[in-house]
Amino acid sequence: MFRILILFFVFFTLGSCSSPEGTWGWYVIDPSTKAGWTNIKFLVGGFYSTILLSIIAAFLSIFIGLVVALPAMSDNKLLKLFNRVYVEFIRSIPLLPMLFWVFYGLPVILKSMGIDANIDAFWGAIITLAISDSAFTAEIYRAGIQSISKGQTEAAKTIGLNYYQTMRYVIMPQALRRILPPLANQFIYIVKMSAFASVIGMQELTRRANEIVVTEYRPLEIYTLLIFEYLILVLLISFGVRYLEKKLGSNESANS
Amino acid sequence: MKNTFAVEIQGLTKSFKDFKALNTIDLNIKHGEKVVICGPSGSGKSTLIRCINGLEDFDEGKISISGNPQNPTKESFVSDFHIGMVFQQFNLFPHLSVIENLKLGPMKSLGLSEKDAETRARKLLERVKIPEQALKKPNQLSGGQQQRVAIARALCMEPKLMLFDEPTSALDPEMISEVLEVIVDLAREGMTMVVVTHEMGFAKKVADRIIFMDGGSIVEQNSPGMFFKKPQTARCKKFLKQILHH
Repeated sequence: MFRILILFFVFFTLGSCSSPEGTWGWYVIDPSTKAGWTNIKFLVGGFYSTILLSIIAAFLSIFIGLVVALPAMSDNKLLKLFNRVYVEFIRSIPLLPMLFWVFYGLPVILKSMGIDANIDAFWGAIITLAISDSAFTAEIYRAGIQSISKGQTEAAKTIGLNYYQTMRYVIMPQALRRILPPLANQFIYIVKMSAFASVIGMQELTRRANEIVVTEYRPLEIYTLLIFEYLILVLLISFGVRYLEKKLGSNESANS
Repeated sequence: MKNTFAVEIQGLTKSFKDFKALNTIDLNIKHGEKVVICGPSGSGKSTLIRCINGLEDFDEGKISISGNPQNPTKESFVSDFHIGMVFQQFNLFPHLSVIENLKLGPMKSLGLSEKDAETRARKLLERVKIPEQALKKPNQLSGGQQQRVAIARALCMEPKLMLFDEPTSALDPEMISEVLEVIVDLAREGMTMVVVTHEMGFAKKVADRIIFMDGGSIVEQNSPGMFFKKPQTARCKKFLKQILHH
């Protein structure tokens, strides 16, 4: 992994030295010049929105996902249907159209209901990411919970635990270790998909890169930096999750 | 006494799709009685006892627990006449220590304080002869020890009736006796129990009555003495011949 990174780096830097035509122009983000430093500060400043957006969206998605997943395990056919319809419907909407719908369409609906809510780019992006992702987190929860043997629920029932207690003390603690790795995957997905927020004017990493590209006209260098910015974010998440997995014991194979 | 029966079953019928698991079962179990149920696999033994404590719903018939009629849906539960259950696969909670497995029910369901639950749990671990394993995780114990923990966990709820669903079938042969010993002790103390098992030696020693099931019906029932000496039906004779040969 690290070796590949170095390879990329060498490739790009050598590229800048060896081409007399000046295909590479790293000066746009050269921190030793004033203009370059200003550009870098502007680009890196996008981290704030990207991170904040992703974290809030991920938390909402984890919560909504659970609320959507639990009815799937009920004996009630209507509740099951709700789960299926939600998952299939939300899962089938591409992120970009949903973003447009939430940002441009939802305020109209709210207004017709007498709610004068202005959805700004930040919350528009969060709502879209959270809902779009919740269909996937719901399926992850379902798989995780259903992987716990039925005998656990039955044993809990025979010692008098109700549904909530069974979930809280018996099923979820076991399911969580299995759910965590795929949930982390979804978090990475959210971070990457947050780039779409640039389309509705959210000042995150991608939007800022686009703005500098328009003024400087050096797309190659700036988008290269952009890719590395996302790479750093995703690697940080990966390390964080590894640590959590070790703490929870997700990396051990199940033994029950 | 008004309720002479711990369990009253009338015309109990249950199907899984096309398969008739239970076919009009009638069975009354007295307080303090020890009933052993045997029969070939798929004969409905497990389904029968799982209907008694509401783990399985049923299609027709009536079940009363200590005089209280049960709802045929799975939601049904008796609170003041608690029914404990021991499973073939133990079903201990693998993420909790032994003592936590025991304390969970009394604390969350009966509302006991942590201290009282701990005292009760320790006492029961003594009784199943593994007090020293309290802080271990279930998967660190042998099968026999795990099953004894499972029995203790059920007893923690102070049940009036204990159901055992093939408690020794998943155990290595050398561990069967240590689990049976605990169940025999329990029987001597007067616990009402229904045990599904193939351990005929155990049945002889403990049972007040042995029930032979086949094809979802009770084919034969008798006292252990008569049951082994003079089986009435051909099916029962054949079954006994097969299992007693081992």
